[in-house]
Amino acid sequence: MTDARLPEEIRPALDNGVPCLMVTCSADGTPNATVISQVYYVDETRVALSFQFFSKTIKNVRENPRAWAGVMDVVGQVDWELDLEFERSETEGPIFDAMDMQIEAIASATGMSGIFKLRAADIYRVLSVDKHSYQP
Amino acid sequence: MIPPKIIRFLEERASIGFAGTRDAKLVPSGHRVPAWHVDQSGRTLTVFIPDVSASRLLEALQDNGRIALTFEEIGTHETYQIKGQYLSHRPVRPAEVDLAGAMRERFARSLRTLYNDEHTSAMMAASIPSPSLAIEVGVDEVFVQTPGPGAGARIAP
Repeated sequence: MTDARLPEEIRPALDNGVPCLMVTCSADGTPNATVISQVYYVDETRVALSFQFFSKTIKNVRENPRAWAGVMDVVGQVDWELDLEFERSETEGPIFDAMDMQIEAIASATGMSGIFKLRAADIYRVLSVDKHSYQP
Repeated sequence: MIPPKIIRFLEERASIGFAGTRDAKLVPSGHRVPAWHVDQSGRTLTVFIPDVSASRLLEALQDNGRIALTFEEIGTHETYQIKGQYLSHRPVRPAEVDLAGAMRERFARSLRTLYNDEHTSAMMAASIPSPSLAIEVGVDEVFVQTPGPGAGARIAP
């Protein structure tokens, strides 16, 4: 599968601070669904997800790199679905620093300071992007 | 099976739900769960799925039956994940559409508490779709998923 490009219109859904859903799958075929704080825009073909705890998600993507993320644009009334592939993990640098600052802001706003702590920025290639509009 | 404490959480406090499945090639996908109903035995639960997800979800479940369900109480971040197996599916019944409406109102209430902003709460509540499909799931395992170092701990069986 070739890389997909993130359209500009997805940016509000990535920047709005609304929690996102992430689904991964272990090598033995067990899916794992978790709520994550943020999907961070890296460039047109990549996003970064926060690695905060040593979780099943982290274990899964290191044995099966495919992942799925869902983000909501509540103002534009659109759900976005991203098929992803884990590429690498960064523990320093500009992506890590920017995510760290945003995670701290989200933690502070939601009463989770001291609990949300960024260990690494996991970088994923975007394989496909789907958009679903919904009616209130 | 689901412990009684978690059944009460699902019935009274959980305000948002999601499902995760995977296809034959181990490619995962996610789905909104706008409503749910737990059997009092804790051995099965029924989740109600919107039309937009129905075909991909059913295709995955009929291939391998594996499903992960995550339920969170907005505000407290209390979250549990249930892993199980697909048992059956059918169209939703009118009473279950009403249940989804009640759960959308619970979601909106939790958002009003969090944001203290009627407009934002209404917009986010409007994002919860109406269900069209009921999926019965047999429960295998239950995990804590509340953010923090205890996340991932298995509490049942």
